[in-house]
Amino acid sequence: MTTHLTSARPAAGPRKESRRRPPASSATTVGRPSFAWAVPAALFFALFAIVPLIMVAVLSFMSWDGISSPEFVGMDNWSRLIDDPVMLKSIWLTLLLTVLGVVLQTPLSILLGVWAAGHQRNRAVLSVIYFIPLLLSATAVSVLWRALLDPNFGIPAEVTWLFGDGNLFGEQSTAIGVLAFVSTWQFTPFHTLIYQGAARAVPQVLYQAAEIDGAGRYRQFFHITLPQLRTSMITSMILMIVGGLTTFETVLILTQGGPGTDTTISAYYMYDKAFKSFDYGIGSAIALALVVAATIISLIVVRVSGYDKMRSSMEGVS
Amino acid sequence: MKTRARLPRLVATGATLALALSLSACGDGNGGASSDDGKIHVLVYGDASNKIEQQIVDTFNKTSDVKAVLDTIPGADYQTKLQTIINTPQAPDIFYNWGGGSIKPFVKADLLLPLDDFIKKDPGLKDKFLPSVFNSAVVDGKPYGIPMRGTQPVLLFHNKKVLEDAGVQPPKTWDELLAAVGKLKDAGVTPIALGGGDVWPTQMWFQYLYDRIAGPELFAKAIGGDKSAWESADSKKALDMISELVDSGAFGKNYDSVKYTNGGSVQLVASGKAGFELMGSWYYSQQLTDHKEFAEKDLGYTAFPTVEGGKGDPGNVAGNPNNYYSVMKKTKHPEAAAEFLKLMYSDEFVKAHLDIGNLPTTTNTDKFIDSSATPEYTRFQYDLVSDAPNFQLSWDQAYPQKASSDMHKAIQQFFNGQLDTDGFIKAMQALPTE
Repeated sequence: MTTHLTSARPAAGPRKESRRRPPASSATTVGRPSFAWAVPAALFFALFAIVPLIMVAVLSFMSWDGISSPEFVGMDNWSRLIDDPVMLKSIWLTLLLTVLGVVLQTPLSILLGVWAAGHQRNRAVLSVIYFIPLLLSATAVSVLWRALLDPNFGIPAEVTWLFGDGNLFGEQSTAIGVLAFVSTWQFTPFHTLIYQGAARAVPQVLYQAAEIDGAGRYRQFFHITLPQLRTSMITSMILMIVGGLTTFETVLILTQGGPGTDTTISAYYMYDKAFKSFDYGIGSAIALALVVAATIISLIVVRVSGYDKMRSSMEGVS
Repeated sequence: MKTRARLPRLVATGATLALALSLSACGDGNGGASSDDGKIHVLVYGDASNKIEQQIVDTFNKTSDVKAVLDTIPGADYQTKLQTIINTPQAPDIFYNWGGGSIKPFVKADLLLPLDDFIKKDPGLKDKFLPSVFNSAVVDGKPYGIPMRGTQPVLLFHNKKVLEDAGVQPPKTWDELLAAVGKLKDAGVTPIALGGGDVWPTQMWFQYLYDRIAGPELFAKAIGGDKSAWESADSKKALDMISELVDSGAFGKNYDSVKYTNGGSVQLVASGKAGFELMGSWYYSQQLTDHKEFAEKDLGYTAFPTVEGGKGDPGNVAGNPNNYYSVMKKTKHPEAAAEFLKLMYSDEFVKAHLDIGNLPTTTNTDKFIDSSATPEYTRFQYDLVSDAPNFQLSWDQAYPQKASSDMHKAIQQFFNGQLDTDGFIKAMQALPTE
């Protein structure tokens, strides 16, 4: 199940990109996209996103094991879900992992990104090396770390002062730590790339002016670079949050939601219910709840950050 | 963290499947027409045994007008995909399963053909198989499966050298095992290797202890729907003994971080860092692949120890009696299917399986064992299984598939102390039995 979910990846860049219109060409509309251009994509989206979403919504009011015919059960799945302590726990864990991801990856990727935007020697080579984890599939990364963290033959067996008896997957705190670490290891390069591009786009004239005013490197970083990275930071954080809410493969392979239900995040819980316990009704309810939650959180982030106003960071520069 | 939203795609996949399934369900209901291309499709779990299945199919096709086609699904995905296609026109005619609970929902949905008529015409379809094995695919008194691979009893393996160095004999009784654990701990090794990260190896300890202490009746009762079985004194005694074993440090402290499936626990035993491991009979060939020298020289094996005062026959075994072929009710070629199943007790079949280390459960297996690759080991297993009054199918396969995830959670949580006895009993009582 999981393999084909993870392997079929369309090349998806930051989604917000599609909103930006190309600059209007002067006086003529030749070559400008009309609505007709959007028809294939819209059809595709309707068929593979909207229709299934509606079906999932319908399924969330039914009881279905995949074999017999679905049976309408009203709010049953939803009330079960509300009373389910594991569901509540899974929401907590999902939020925790998401916050951990943002907190760990943001500073790391800003520092790396700004550094990689410079002109140091060996920078290109090192950048390529940093980038490698992103090229591996989450599945491969998870299998790799599961093996590297084997308590008897992996890293913990050598570094006992840090890992103790190496029971990383047997306790909640360490299991979550491993999940956060592995995600950070894999996705920091991607966000580094965003910040690298953004840092390169900061006009040099600002730094030149700052130098004349006698600002040092740290002042320049905090007063020029960081503010100029604001919009990129929002893009990156939205991606981190949406990604965090839908983390799946790392949990599937590293912990299977265990020990017990200690790392059962919502997306995994949905899989567990729908595809392992063959209870598609409640699985659909979880899925729908997740879609709603992710949408709301994304909207809040966009609104709070002012991203929707599309303010340019170039204001007052040129 | 993640670069793309996975959820919509997950949802989309699920719902597209749902769409496809419900459409097809509307189209032809249960007994509807499957696409008939004049062939019978045989669906199996994809692994090393497939080459023999292909060989059997080829043999069958030489004489049959209706040709058989072998379809395989890679192991980990088998159960999910089977469940997805079983009630669609893409369903196979004959398919691989674990008997017991793994086919119960299909029987309930009236998808499977009871094999009584086949057996009436050819009693060999029943008589040529070991009864304890054949019975694992009997649901509600009717046979629904023919054994089609090798038997996989769970055995207690050990590292001969480690035991010798610690002055330990392979244990015959539970007390001897406890004593061995103490001595092995003193010798500085993990007494028993356990791939707790996979959970099903942990489950093996439950299966055997319950069977030894309470006999097979307790589990039969529980799975029959009488959930009071889990509250019985015997059940509590078994749980106490498991706790005692875990608390004594028998499995070390990090068993939940160790996996069998990535070779972690296998290597623990092979490298002499652990003394014992409880595992299915496939363990031998696993060690032979991963650690050839160790497997040939120092790998020992015994049956699970007896438990004094236990109600279960000490000869009982647990594990997977075999895998089974079941026949879909809507197959267009039942006669051809019956003919195909007869090959499962043929000499050719038995020899081919023995050659790759599988142990078929037919009555004619006996005469070919001595010419097999590992006669001593094969003979040990064969005697164990054929003398066993009862062969307990792995709990997670005996229960309906939908119960296995919650069962695994309860087992892991009890083992590592997250659940107490009452909590475990409650969790087991909450499992669906049909």
